[in-house]
Amino acid sequence: MSLLLEARNVSKSYGVFRALENVNMTVSENELVSVVGPNGAGKTTLVNLFTGLLSPTSGEVLFMGKSIAGVGPVVLADRGMARAFQLIQIFPKLTVAETIAAAVVSQQKKRWRLVSQLSSDLRISERVREVAEIFGLDHRLNTVAASLSQGEKKLLDVASAFALDPQVILFDEPTSGVSTSDKHAIMKTLIAAGKIAGVKGIVLVEHDMDLVAAYSSRIIALAGGRVLADLPPDRFFSDPHLIDTVIGKRKGH
Amino acid sequence: MSAFANILAGGVFHAAVLFLVAAGLQLVFGVQKIVNLACGSFYALGAYFGITFINYTTQFGISPWLIFPGLIISGIMLGFIGPPIERILRSVYGRDESFQLLLTFALVLIFQDVFKFIWGANPRSLDSAYLVYGTLRAGDFSIPVYNLLVILAAIAIAGGLGLFLQRTNYGRLLRATAENRAMAEALGVDVRRIYSTVFTLGAVLGTIAGALVVPTAAASLDMAIEFVIEAFAVVVIGGLGSMRGALVGALIVGLIRALSIVFFPELEVLAIYLIVIGVLIFRPVGLFGRSFA
Amino acid sequence: MTINSATLTALIGTAALALLPLVLPPYYVGLMIPFFGYAIALLGFNLLFGYTGLLSFGHAMFLGLGAYGAAVMSGVFGVKSFELVLLAVMLGSAVIALPIAFLCARYVGIFFGMLTLAFGMLFYSFLFKFYHLTGGDSGMRVPRMNILGLTFERYNKIEFLAGPFYYYCLGLLVIAGLVMWRIVHSPFGLHLKTIRDNARKAEYLGVHVHRFRLAAFVISAAFGAVGGAILAFRVGLADPELVYWTQSGQLVFMGVLGGFSNFFGPIIGALTYTLLQDQLQSLTEYWRSMLGVILALIVIGFPEGIAGLAVDLRRRLARRSQ
Repeated sequence: MSLLLEARNVSKSYGVFRALENVNMTVSENELVSVVGPNGAGKTTLVNLFTGLLSPTSGEVLFMGKSIAGVGPVVLADRGMARAFQLIQIFPKLTVAETIAAAVVSQQKKRWRLVSQLSSDLRISERVREVAEIFGLDHRLNTVAASLSQGEKKLLDVASAFALDPQVILFDEPTSGVSTSDKHAIMKTLIAAGKIAGVKGIVLVEHDMDLVAAYSSRIIALAGGRVLADLPPDRFFSDPHLIDTVIGKRKGH
Repeated sequence: MSAFANILAGGVFHAAVLFLVAAGLQLVFGVQKIVNLACGSFYALGAYFGITFINYTTQFGISPWLIFPGLIISGIMLGFIGPPIERILRSVYGRDESFQLLLTFALVLIFQDVFKFIWGANPRSLDSAYLVYGTLRAGDFSIPVYNLLVILAAIAIAGGLGLFLQRTNYGRLLRATAENRAMAEALGVDVRRIYSTVFTLGAVLGTIAGALVVPTAAASLDMAIEFVIEAFAVVVIGGLGSMRGALVGALIVGLIRALSIVFFPELEVLAIYLIVIGVLIFRPVGLFGRSFA
Repeated sequence: MTINSATLTALIGTAALALLPLVLPPYYVGLMIPFFGYAIALLGFNLLFGYTGLLSFGHAMFLGLGAYGAAVMSGVFGVKSFELVLLAVMLGSAVIALPIAFLCARYVGIFFGMLTLAFGMLFYSFLFKFYHLTGGDSGMRVPRMNILGLTFERYNKIEFLAGPFYYYCLGLLVIAGLVMWRIVHSPFGLHLKTIRDNARKAEYLGVHVHRFRLAAFVISAAFGAVGGAILAFRVGLADPELVYWTQSGQLVFMGVLGGFSNFFGPIIGALTYTLLQDQLQSLTEYWRSMLGVILALIVIGFPEGIAGLAVDLRRRLARRSQ
């Protein structure tokens, strides 16, 4: 199994503050790795390192074997890594079709085409329809993003990330703000969509432990900038001390 | 050597006037987050009205010695235009910056014709009565006492503003509203009144500056438009929203203008734009500005 | 706007403009030449503003580059072909815009506006200071050139402007419109719109935000130069006042007047402003303040401009007929 994403002895300091200390983690093919931990544990810093926004103070961050330190989201999108946000990010004036098409244009490397018309590009419109269908947005293709419902906006946000045809997707609290009954449905959609889209690895940053327990191949617990544990769910949840540190109270109480 | 000192003194005088207008700009930007293109128009208004006021009062035999305070008073009198204009600008608070710029640009256009209508298209000036204050001489160096008075007034106003903002309760309120409007509102602050007051204060600083300048320069239609650029240069160099920035920026711009006349007459005005561009590239928040999204 | 309604608008508009010289007195026809110049320049300006979200307050400098470029090429180097001049000023303007764009496009909002304002005024001061090169405040002469290789010697200036040159400029506008339409509806154009709407998200979708802002800036500079060359040709003079910051403000005014969210907005804005200014100038010497009031009204009440009002009207009529 090849390594998709890797952090090797990564430390990150902001001045005297050490946000991450000697973090090692990997994501391999067909894995859904969850990153959990209390606020301030360094999750955001780790995510920003993985999405090329930061460079580690020491150590390496690798995607598909090549360093991605500070390369930025655009380069990473080209290399095959996508990110979906916690707070919904949309293009208010663009339609669902246009939003997805923007990603497809990047993926099909057509961004510098100045005079060919989008409307007549079948490869793009077919791919847009494909992606929209996976997320149930195909009946809303011509709706302007600002008029969508919150749930639809969330789906669109994720759909546009998928349209990049990435190898790895990083989900930053994808179900935050969603009612509990919908959370599992959304996770299932995301994972199924990932399979259809050919996504090989998923990184999930989450607070909801039920979701983490249900869908992860492995769980990585961060606390105080260090990796506390890197275990499959069954072993993770059988350690009460670990759960205490991560969520502050025992599961089931 | 003394010619050089004379030129520098002229630069400091110019800086004093610039500071007043820039301080007004900074106040308004700091609190209301509006960049006021009409600051030059307030300046010109102060100049025109200052001339009218002084001519009027001299008719009644007011001593020429009172020109200095008289001009300041005339500037303050114009404060009444602050609230209605702020009321108009209120409609674009919180909207895209482009609209704010455009609305203040509309004001510039309107003011141009107001000047034309009231004072005519030709430049107006005050006769040299201000020379009644005499000239200070030290060897070959000389500076009209009037200019010194203006410089001192600017320093006094700078100090006063500083004390006001830092030490008084109202000043603290202003700073709080500038930092976080929502929070201030939640704490019961009447933000609307603060906006109105701040804008008026900014306007008055501009009109006083214009009034103070007329003994040495003519009031003209071009004044409003040309001055905006320099005021903006000051604010960019000093840092948007910073009072200290207004002071330092004004000194820099005033002195650069003076110095470039001596050393690089070809460049002169170009030098200022180059510095503005340089600052925007290397330190976009300016010397004293705080970075914001 | 669908392709069909756009095509209809374009066809009707072009036809109306083509018939104008047959209906209006030559004075008004001559007035339309600046309209063509501004319209083309504004198409470029709106690529930057309406489609990429960058408000330039120094755009008049590119009109100036076009004007002075035309003066240099035809007045100094004796180039007779207006087409050659147009190509040259487009290229020159784009080349000069490149480093400026590189510096400015890192910033957005007010800083972008101020930087472009500074560059615009820098160019203005340059034109004044280096008067032995540029003619200072007298400007530079722009002699009459050949269009499509023809000299039209038989025509005097007024006839030329109201006749052959009018249709030539109409042709230029149509071409410029077609090119801009294609750009705006291309994959490149889509990426520009994402930058306008949410630059951060756009990055995550693989949009080269900085590079594309640069590209939009350079393209808009080229369009601006064409507009400036037309303006200078008509007057026979490249005038430094064309570059003053209030002229840049006027461009923004036209853009907002017409409606910057609509493809035809800039053209409508240029037309309306040109006619408005002319009418107001003949009515009163205080026309500037009237324009100021109109601008204020638009900003406060009708931010989508005339095009926005028209679209709104159509929508209401469509709803009513249901």
